[in-house]
Amino acid sequence: MPLALSSLAAPGLTLAERELACRRRGLDGQELALERGTDLAAVRASGARVLAVRAGALGDPAELAAASARLGAPVSVAADAVAPEALPGLARVFARAGGRLLIGRPTDLAAVAALAGALDALGPAGDAAALGIAWELRPSTERLADAGAVVFAAGPHLGVVRLHGGGPEQRAQDGRGVGAVLRELALARYAGPIVLCPSEPAQLPAWEAWLRAEPRVRCGDRGARRIDLDVRDVEPRDRLDTILGAYRALEPGATLHLTVDHDPVCMAYTLEATEPAGSFEFRTVEDGPEVWRAEVTRR
Amino acid sequence: MSSIDLDIRIVPPREKHPTIFKTFDALAPGEGFTLINDHDPAPLRHQFDATRGGQFGWTYVERGPVVWRVLIEKSR
Repeated sequence: MPLALSSLAAPGLTLAERELACRRRGLDGQELALERGTDLAAVRASGARVLAVRAGALGDPAELAAASARLGAPVSVAADAVAPEALPGLARVFARAGGRLLIGRPTDLAAVAALAGALDALGPAGDAAALGIAWELRPSTERLADAGAVVFAAGPHLGVVRLHGGGPEQRAQDGRGVGAVLRELALARYAGPIVLCPSEPAQLPAWEAWLRAEPRVRCGDRGARRIDLDVRDVEPRDRLDTILGAYRALEPGATLHLTVDHDPVCMAYTLEATEPAGSFEFRTVEDGPEVWRAEVTRR
Repeated sequence: MSSIDLDIRIVPPREKHPTIFKTFDALAPGEGFTLINDHDPAPLRHQFDATRGGQFGWTYVERGPVVWRVLIEKSR
């Protein structure tokens, strides 16, 4: 299940700059949104890892099929770009070129099931595999309660999941059900890419900052009497070191007042495992569902 | 058959651990999944020890510095 960054998330960056940003973020590659005059030879020569391609419209299907084959990645188009009766012809064009076309569908069980049925009806011949489904997943606006059924209905036709959010928008989407979607995809052994793209253009500055952010670790000053630490704005990758750094800066008898956006019970278990027995007292003073506060007193 | 991969990096903070434990609980004995994360999930392991001690295997497949992969298996 590779993770890819859509070029739509960083339109100001060059292909090479996006590749660098992906590597720093540990992302496995990019989704390349084709523009008029995209130089496919230059894309290939750049060494950028293109895991998916995006086209604004179907345009000339043969040209799109050739681009998909050339880049070795499936191309997705928006939900309304393809009429059902065009499917057999498109399957032939893409199969002949060696490309793959993924047709967009929102988190809508009926719409996904209908498209999967139409793809099944193309028959088991080789051409049918040249078409598939691109799931346009919008946690900020969609109800995700049906996600498990959508994964099941799409079945082997699911070729890409385009997550409109994640990255810097992840916190705003907390509690919307993204975790359940990922669980269903994992248990269905989905192995295709998940593409991160901004939910709306207004989010672009946040994406740029997110892509440029360096890992950081903040530690408290040694010998502190009281430390107030809100890690909600600290990226998950930096949280453990930040919290342990603050805890270890406490002088005996002092208390760390911790604010987090998830159940901090894992921190209590971590302290039990890493600190001497009886050397601290952990109290949860606010127990969710959106904000948790804990007090850790060093003995 | 491909493996079960759970990329927890794109799951929002308060959904992360519940998602992981629900995935683990859905496994059959002897099955496992690969957890992918952007930091060492050591706190999670301590939580596994405390709540599912002796019922799981924990094998690092990749140890940073950018991505961590852990194979978490349900004991037979």
